[in-house]
Amino acid sequence: MTEAVAARERRAGVGDVLLDVRDLRTYFHVMDGTVKAVDGVSFSIRRGGRLALVGESGSGKSVTALSIMRLIETPPGEFAGGEILFDGVDILKLDSHAIRKIRGGEIAMIFQEPMTSLNPVMTVGDQITEAVLLHQKVNHKGAEEITLTALKDVGVADPKRRMKQYPHELSGGMRQRIMIAMALSCNPQLIIADEPTTALDVTIQRQILELIKSIQERTGAALLLITHDLGVVAETVDDVAVMYAGRVVETGTVENVLLNPRMPYTRGLLESIPSQAKRGQRLSAIRGTVPNPFRMPPGCKFEPRCPYAWDTCSESEPDLIQIGEDRTARCWLNDQRFRSRLNDYVASRPGGGE
Amino acid sequence: MADIIGPARIENIEPPKPDYDVQLESLNQWQIAWRRFKRHRMAIIGSTMFLTMVAIGLVGPFVFQYDPNNIPVPDVKVNAGRPPSLAHLFGETGRLQLDVLTLVINGIRMSLLIGVIASALGAIIGTIVGGIAGYFGGWTDTILMRIVDALLSLPLLFVILAFSQFVGQGTGSWLTITIIFGLFGWLGIARLVRAVILSLREADYVDAARAAGVGDARIIFRHLVPNSLSPIIVATTLGVAGVIIGEAFVSFLGFGVDPSTPTLGNILSGSLEFINQGNWWWAFFPGAAIVIIVLGINFMGDGLRDALDPRARI
Repeated sequence: MTEAVAARERRAGVGDVLLDVRDLRTYFHVMDGTVKAVDGVSFSIRRGGRLALVGESGSGKSVTALSIMRLIETPPGEFAGGEILFDGVDILKLDSHAIRKIRGGEIAMIFQEPMTSLNPVMTVGDQITEAVLLHQKVNHKGAEEITLTALKDVGVADPKRRMKQYPHELSGGMRQRIMIAMALSCNPQLIIADEPTTALDVTIQRQILELIKSIQERTGAALLLITHDLGVVAETVDDVAVMYAGRVVETGTVENVLLNPRMPYTRGLLESIPSQAKRGQRLSAIRGTVPNPFRMPPGCKFEPRCPYAWDTCSESEPDLIQIGEDRTARCWLNDQRFRSRLNDYVASRPGGGE
Repeated sequence: MADIIGPARIENIEPPKPDYDVQLESLNQWQIAWRRFKRHRMAIIGSTMFLTMVAIGLVGPFVFQYDPNNIPVPDVKVNAGRPPSLAHLFGETGRLQLDVLTLVINGIRMSLLIGVIASALGAIIGTIVGGIAGYFGGWTDTILMRIVDALLSLPLLFVILAFSQFVGQGTGSWLTITIIFGLFGWLGIARLVRAVILSLREADYVDAARAAGVGDARIIFRHLVPNSLSPIIVATTLGVAGVIIGEAFVSFLGFGVDPSTPTLGNILSGSLEFINQGNWWWAFFPGAAIVIIVLGINFMGDGLRDALDPRARI
């Protein structure tokens, strides 16, 4: 009870910053040159907070998550700059032994593909027990008890029998529950969920999201949700960071960002969601494609696709401009000098301006 | 009527069982493989041949209790061997007039022992080296694989010749020869394991294990190696046949196991000078034993390969 209250208080903004990603740059050196998969990403999550990283394929959201876990292979990868402060410690500076303590113990990750994220020749019980033994001072029997409890917590029926089963004997939804059980078994402070529902069908998606949310609320762990599904974002998290071409382009609370996007890219994403209101109309899409990583536009990376762009946009790239408290957008529209353009932009909002 | 039947019927309807109660026993990888293996005719013939030889090697010495080292006083008049008779089913050797059956039984035992131990040793070394090379890649991989290439280019016969010169006086004890075969028998398996692990390490469950904080060594030997066991098992099985042939070969040439130890190769080697006196039984029976063992292992290995192939179904 008190735990839940504490968790709620933390989410309300009482908690201090747990994860602070500052100007993270993760590059990949490949045959054809350097891919700047993540190029100056900053965001932070408070203890017990819930943040979603949103963006289309190739925007760098998964690489950001893997960087936090230090799961990027170097080479070909390189952490070219920035820092990832977790509980005040820069993860990028830790040695391999210290990072292993954090992986799974302090930060747990739930992967996109439950069908392939479990080892096919190990029973699911062994896989969870292995993680428990690594991070908690218990003997084998104690670890199995913890595994059993974790499986019960994620709603697995008959956990004793499930523990002895192999992944191929379980359905996709069940496997994702196992992954979640593994993630929560060591009481992490941060759970990273990398598109946890993408591979599941719609009815199971909802169950899994509810489960992640309820576990996050009960344990008071912070949640970093990575998704391309804005519907999932609206239901699950408090804050959003929208990513495009390796950058964060807009941050803020879910309400602010989804209802009043201050970056044309976010607006484009929202407009391309099929919804009841637009029935019978042509679904709008963002024209063009994500820029080639080897030939990035010199100015704003979204400029070639942006319907609101003008010459400033192609000349120089804006920083993340502070709009209000806890609200930023990487778009020249938010610069004081272009006030009138912002007004036009807001007025052009589909469904009328404010 | 309807009033009476109605409620009664409802009571009779069993509530649907929740799906997690369905006790479907699904087969694991090994059960599926065993099922396929049983249907593979050549595999069954091969393993029967092989297991018969193993049984002869294990039980034989207790049934036929001629001591191979208890050298009888030879019949000076004859000197050449004696053909098979009721007392000596496989005949007697020339010179010392030893019982060929006893020799062959002990030879089978020694040859199998050497083959299995050397092959297992090779599999262990090969799996460790291949696993490390495949998992870490980069420079580690390059260096380890170049070492493998270099060793593969050495002619094994000369290496064993040189080794046995150092260790024994021209020939080695069976354990020495076994270890030498093991130390040079891991090369193929190392390449094989490296190739398998190179592709497996990109699997999602490896990332998931690393994300759970599992260390490199544990990922290699507890996650990746069990997933690549099938080709390792096949290669090791076929390796037993290779070592038996190889041991027979070097022993035959006189560079292998000490002649007082009856391996199949040593028996053949002894028979050489009596062949032209018509003592066919001295060479035939150990030769046949080698053929049966090697053929059996090869059939069995082929069957294992088919049974353990994850792409084949049923």
